[in-house]
Amino acid sequence: MAKIAMERKSIIFWILLFIVLLLVLFPIYWIVITSLKIPLENISPIPTFFPKKPTLGNYMNVFEGGFFRYLSNSLIVASSSTLISLTLSFLASYALVRHRFPLKLNYIFLIWILIVKILPPIVLAIPLYTLFTSARLINRLLGLIIVYQVYTLPYCLWMQYGFIRTIPIEYEQAAEIDGASKTQVLTRIVLPLSASGLVATAIFSIIVAWDEFLFALLFIRDPSLLTLPLRIVNFITEHETLWGELMGIGLLATLPVLLFSGYVYKRLTLSFSMGLK
Amino acid sequence: MKKAFSLSLILLFLIIPLFICAVGQQEKGPVKLTFIGRDAVYGDAIDIAISEYVKLNPQVSIENLELPYASQYEKVVIDMKGAVGTYDLILIDDPAATQFQRAGWLANLDELLKKRGEKLDPDLISTAVKLGRYPYADDGTLYGLPHIGNVELFVYRKDLFQKYGLSKPEKWDDVLAAAKKIQAGEKDVYGVVFRGVKGNPITSTSLPLFWAFGANVLDSKGRPALDTPEARNAWEFFLKLKDYAPEGVAAYNSAQVKDALYSGRAAMAIEVWPGWVPGLNDPSKSAVVGKAEVTTHPGQVKKSSPMLGIWLIGIPEASKNHEEALDFLLFLTGKETQIKIAEIGLPPTRESVFMEPGLIKKFPWYPVQVAAMKNGVGRPRTTQWKELEDIYGAYLQLVLIGKMTPADALKEANSKMKEVLE
Amino acid sequence: MERRTDLRKNLFYYSIFIPAFAVIIFLTIYPVFSVLYMSFFKYKYLFDIKVFIGFKNFVRIIKDSLFQTSLFNTLIFSAVATIAEVTLGLFLALLFYGRFPGKRVFLIMAVFPMMISTMVVCAVWRTLYHFDFGLLNYILKTSGLKSVGWLINPNIALFSIILVDIWQWTPFAFIIIQAGLNSISKEIFEAASIDGAGYFNTLISITLPILSKQILLVFLLRTIDTFRIFSKVYALTQGGPGNSTETVSYYIYRQGFTYFNLGRATTASIYVLLVISVISVFYIRNIMREEA
Repeated sequence: MAKIAMERKSIIFWILLFIVLLLVLFPIYWIVITSLKIPLENISPIPTFFPKKPTLGNYMNVFEGGFFRYLSNSLIVASSSTLISLTLSFLASYALVRHRFPLKLNYIFLIWILIVKILPPIVLAIPLYTLFTSARLINRLLGLIIVYQVYTLPYCLWMQYGFIRTIPIEYEQAAEIDGASKTQVLTRIVLPLSASGLVATAIFSIIVAWDEFLFALLFIRDPSLLTLPLRIVNFITEHETLWGELMGIGLLATLPVLLFSGYVYKRLTLSFSMGLK
Repeated sequence: MKKAFSLSLILLFLIIPLFICAVGQQEKGPVKLTFIGRDAVYGDAIDIAISEYVKLNPQVSIENLELPYASQYEKVVIDMKGAVGTYDLILIDDPAATQFQRAGWLANLDELLKKRGEKLDPDLISTAVKLGRYPYADDGTLYGLPHIGNVELFVYRKDLFQKYGLSKPEKWDDVLAAAKKIQAGEKDVYGVVFRGVKGNPITSTSLPLFWAFGANVLDSKGRPALDTPEARNAWEFFLKLKDYAPEGVAAYNSAQVKDALYSGRAAMAIEVWPGWVPGLNDPSKSAVVGKAEVTTHPGQVKKSSPMLGIWLIGIPEASKNHEEALDFLLFLTGKETQIKIAEIGLPPTRESVFMEPGLIKKFPWYPVQVAAMKNGVGRPRTTQWKELEDIYGAYLQLVLIGKMTPADALKEANSKMKEVLE
Repeated sequence: MERRTDLRKNLFYYSIFIPAFAVIIFLTIYPVFSVLYMSFFKYKYLFDIKVFIGFKNFVRIIKDSLFQTSLFNTLIFSAVATIAEVTLGLFLALLFYGRFPGKRVFLIMAVFPMMISTMVVCAVWRTLYHFDFGLLNYILKTSGLKSVGWLINPNIALFSIILVDIWQWTPFAFIIIQAGLNSISKEIFEAASIDGAGYFNTLISITLPILSKQILLVFLLRTIDTFRIFSKVYALTQGGPGNSTETVSYYIYRQGFTYFNLGRATTASIYVLLVISVISVFYIRNIMREEA
């Protein structure tokens, strides 16, 4: 494959890459320039490819509107719920892959979480609201972190399950013959081997939690506890859309996820693949 | 390295929730009221009132939650249904009021006023107040006070009408004739614009026309009345108007109608709301300063009946601060506050505020608007209006995009409405 | 002795499995069963009207032409979007395999779309799609073509929404398939290239079979996700023009949260469940095949 990869650095490869990136990046470019335009230019009948009078005013408005408070709420909620989901799902999926629980629990459980995943969250929202009200978890970030497990945990479980299944059991058997305990097998063999799967899962889970709207809307009322998506929709009002601010906050809200993904990707793939061989 | 990583993973997992518990557990002060309302300019209006009010009543603090239309409704319903009492004051779109009152979620304002030894100020326009009463009659019990006096209006371009020798449209037939004439003569100008998005937008846009043709959504006994000759005439007429509307009108919502009007690409807008028009005479936003006339709707077989869209404010029964909430509510709907709110472009609900010379200068259509409000008609008082409105709006849009004939669509819509109401 | 290690092993598996199990049970048992329960009632949440009506909801909803259209649109949406996303994701993963200068930067750029808030994604596409001032129609017009009613032509609107979903979620398929591709040991490819297998031969006979688990997984996850398509419809067309972009989730949303007819909303969700169960049984069988 190394050879093939070399071959593919041909001109066709670069052309294809260019086309892909163009399609992917153009709408993003549009978001960027929209966020730099003054309001009047954004509703002009002839679209402009570059802002006539670039301005940072939209960003100023976003920052003055308490961006950092919403950002930190979102950070707390998304990272905590991801960490919880990732940890729980990694452990549970390993158990599901390597152990047969009685009563066909493996199947029942996996199908059950699939059902949960399939049900439109809207349907679960009302019973969960009542449940969380009695548990005094409404209007608290902790409540959101827990309720987001409805989204993230089934996803993480299925993804982890898929990845761990592809790990050959021979490595573990070899380690066990060498006298390693189960815990050691899990942390020293399985964890590094599922690195790239963990990365993909983590990135995905954080994106889901970062973008979640419905539960955040219903479960949070204190303005100081709002998450970013709740703030973002405030720029789309009935009579007008504040395009500049909307795109500005959209970009700013993307940066943390992007940095996170870049970091996780680099960190995990590097350290684990080196640890492995 | 790996151990450290997994260890820190677990630690984080334990610490963060704890940290959040600690953060989440502050709060509590003297009297704190929570208002749940709309975003944008509606939210600004409440902020104005709050900042004045807390100056006079420093012991009270008021939190203003600003949300988009649908989200606000969902939150309010789920909270009131659970009688959680999170909110002390809620903003209610008038068609939803019937549901809330019927469910018994709102505090009886007549009683609360009596407790204070006060009576309702007759300056508040009675057609608007009536929307806050249940049953819907002048002597119904009061559950909400009118906060913003929206009424649907009609805009036409005086300059274009003069150019083509047309006078102010008195009948819908005149509207059609004018649209035809102007569109034939002017390049880049559409005869009419309106909201064509399915659901609430197209319904609101078409109801004044529907009523003017003598049709009604529900008959006097509350049964669906769409399968009638009057209704067919109205929808067929609406379809004729479409020929003079922009091609993409089925996707037009407020923002697009407003843009078309402001940029001078529309000769008439058959539906505008007071909240959209203040910028019409602002040269930085509008290309038609002084050229657009805001007026009431034309009639047809019946006199024009403007549609009311009043924002009411009520106090949930479950709120723990009824008296304090009422005090703020009276301040909010008081004359001085209404003048301040009117200045940012939201119409009042007090007759005397419409007569303020300073405001008339700024909003020349106020006399027209107050007259429209006094003759205004509310949308049908039913607990299921949202569902009926969606049916009406869905089928009318099917007609608009040519997927169904008016007669078939009305028949089907009628039977769907029956099913909902049974 | 043997037994003891078995017991300890079992204990180990139970202890790592139970936390996730407990969280799922806590969050879902009550809601899911209340969903099942409510579907047998005429349940108007707002007025506490709750009348047992047996299977009437099920009959009503399956007969409702709006529900039928919604289901049909959802199936189209889900099938087209999923197939397109997986195919393109696979293509991207193959394109990005191996080393080339700037790989990491390009990679991050390529996954950018799925990190942007869905609301913002919809907003930007709405401007691009705008009939009168949208960039797409502007380009068409300036190159002498006719404007396309991206969101206002009932025959096109659904596909315009699909396009947005493809744009946003292909990176997801890409990441997972890429993770799978990276875990294939290089020796296999080297062996294949020594054998003289060409690129497409290697792809079909070696790469795809090894990747089949990941591909199936992506298929499954994307099918489920696209089946629940809601926010894009809500933000772009609100089900219009006509009923051309009505989807099941939007139907449930309206029944559940706008009208608060919980009986109907839950019944509709159970139908969704049935349809998707049929689809996922296929996936699950394949994913778990060796285990059975």
